[in-house]
Amino acid sequence: MKSLLSKQSLKKLGGILFLTALVELMTGGPGQQLTPNLGLKLSFGERVSYFGLFVTQRWLVFLTLGLIIFVLSSVTWRNGSPVKYVRGTVSGFSKYVPRNKYARALFIVALVVLVFLMPTFVSNAYWRAAMVEQVAIYVLLALGLNVVVGFAGLLDLGFVAFYAIGTYTTAWITGSLPLAPPFHHALNPFWAIPIAIAIAMASGILLGAPTLRLRGDYLAIVTLGFGEIIAVLANNLFSVTGGATGTNQIPHFSFHVGPFSYLWGLDPVPYYYLVIGFTILFFIAFHFLNESRIGRSWTAIREDEVAAESIGINPLKFKVMAFAIGAASAGFAGVITAGQNNFVTPDMFTLQFSINVLVLVIFGGMGSITGVSLGAVVVQVVTMQLDHNPPSGFIPQDLFMYLGALLVVMMIFRPAGLFPAKRRHREFGQASQGIGHGNEVLMGETNE
Amino acid sequence: MSSPLIYDVKNITLRFGGVVSINNLSLEHRRGEILAVIGPNGAGKTSLFNSLTGVYQPQEGSIDLFGADGEKMSVIGKKPHRVATAGVARTFQASRMFNAMTVFENVKAGAENHRGLGVMGAIFRGPGTRRDDRETDAQVLELLEFVGLRDRANAISASLNYGDRRRLEIARGLATKPSALLLDEPAAGTNPSEKFELTELIRRVRDVRGVSILLIEHDMKLVMSLAERIYVLNFGAAIASGTPAEIRANEDVIAAYLGSQKQGGK
Repeated sequence: MKSLLSKQSLKKLGGILFLTALVELMTGGPGQQLTPNLGLKLSFGERVSYFGLFVTQRWLVFLTLGLIIFVLSSVTWRNGSPVKYVRGTVSGFSKYVPRNKYARALFIVALVVLVFLMPTFVSNAYWRAAMVEQVAIYVLLALGLNVVVGFAGLLDLGFVAFYAIGTYTTAWITGSLPLAPPFHHALNPFWAIPIAIAIAMASGILLGAPTLRLRGDYLAIVTLGFGEIIAVLANNLFSVTGGATGTNQIPHFSFHVGPFSYLWGLDPVPYYYLVIGFTILFFIAFHFLNESRIGRSWTAIREDEVAAESIGINPLKFKVMAFAIGAASAGFAGVITAGQNNFVTPDMFTLQFSINVLVLVIFGGMGSITGVSLGAVVVQVVTMQLDHNPPSGFIPQDLFMYLGALLVVMMIFRPAGLFPAKRRHREFGQASQGIGHGNEVLMGETNE
Repeated sequence: MSSPLIYDVKNITLRFGGVVSINNLSLEHRRGEILAVIGPNGAGKTSLFNSLTGVYQPQEGSIDLFGADGEKMSVIGKKPHRVATAGVARTFQASRMFNAMTVFENVKAGAENHRGLGVMGAIFRGPGTRRDDRETDAQVLELLEFVGLRDRANAISASLNYGDRRRLEIARGLATKPSALLLDEPAAGTNPSEKFELTELIRRVRDVRGVSILLIEHDMKLVMSLAERIYVLNFGAAIASGTPAEIRANEDVIAAYLGSQKQGGK
């Protein structure tokens, strides 16, 4: 064991104490305009009860935690520090995921059954609504963005635009916008599904065809701009979208076929089954896409665009395709949201929304359909729990700070995500060893 | 020398700003021929390859490609993937595989038909799609057998050694069913025994599969034993062409490689 008082150790101690002080300050109480010192006072001076066990000043608790981390990372245990041991265990986690084909199938069937029975376990009204609006819809959105980010490797920061297009198309088809509906009379939101998907795909192609020649950061900026353009249009095209107040006239889903008729209403459970049904269809479709030659072409482009072109793959075509497919599922999610909420306003479509969906994809594991679905469930359920029943000391405004911190931790310990896709996992592994080459090397010109 | 042309390159010039990379170069590549392009560093060999495959667009001259059906296509102005589908496969100087894929998947990516969209076929996996898939798998295994990588089919391609990477690139290129295979320094970084096996493989590609070979190489022993005709490039221009014996005796070539009063100051 190295001495706890060596120069190196003291440096580490200093770093840890600095970080704990920073976290202490960041997570402490909010300041106020008139008493700017209030936040500082609350952070350091506040006496807080911890799990009803002991009451003490916040700073004492943080100092103790910092010291514990320091000691744990310095002592030797099982050929390394306990912190390293935990880190190793966490990153070796994938080996517990069943590899056997039948075990996997069983696992997925059990998961589907659980998902279908979910409403019988959840009786709380808050959670029944959140289950649809905040979890199921986000799973759908994450699945769609995963096609763009995970499969094709394109960073899309304007995903919300397609979601907005879906909701506004629904409002338009059902005759709830100032703009007259296309078929002279209002239609049921079900009719909006194919139309919204078609319009979202078309806008994906329109945006993608000229911009997908760009790579990496440039594409991210363009998509970010597109997301903002759609939000600004929704806000200002009063005669089309109803401006900032939007509309609250969108009817619920319903169907009347012969003697059968059903009206979706305020109860979220029927909506839950509607969303889940379609999500499973998207899930299966995306799974087969990824396993097909289209999926292999996406992987090829993502790993080495130049080599992909040399075997006859047209990168632009496959990127636009990924964009359109992602847009389709976002458009579909928009239809459901519009039908269920009955209202749509431009402020639903913020950059934060796009980034939130991106967080779900990264957290769950880019490129892994199961990963992003489970990741979306985990992040959204935790977020909703924090929002619904905040623990003492948690300030709801801090939520995105914690999500950001979560991403940082993920990037350090599990960069390929919670449940990484096989190929993505290898790519990250190779990147950290310096093998492989991304798009940045254009040609092997160096030796000529 | 009576077999039809596969590449007909006439007077191409490629410039990057003020730098002339290829200078008024003409080249003929005949069907079924193993043709080598040699030259000192910076002579424009890889630029020539990139021009032939649509990566670079020469400002002057013409490049005509005669595909499998003998149809003429002008390469200049075409995207690389168009040139690839017209029947030209290539390997890269620094081998470019899809590192995270297995050897099998690498070759399969090449073997698949990328022209149609087939989203519905991919999602619903109808009998047609599945049959295509099985046929592709069989082709891939056959190709891996051909290049001698059958037993590494499930290995991650990044785990291969240099020699095997070259084989994989060749298999991936052959999977696109090309008329011509362009090899950019295939022997770079390989040891003598790998070099020997590679020479044999390249010859077999031509003899067994009937694919014309165009090859850039620094290793003179390999070039002289393999090539039937050689072009020598210096400063972007062809200074000589002919059989290996002719090239070996050519004074300009010796001057370009060893330097002389006449050529050195150019």
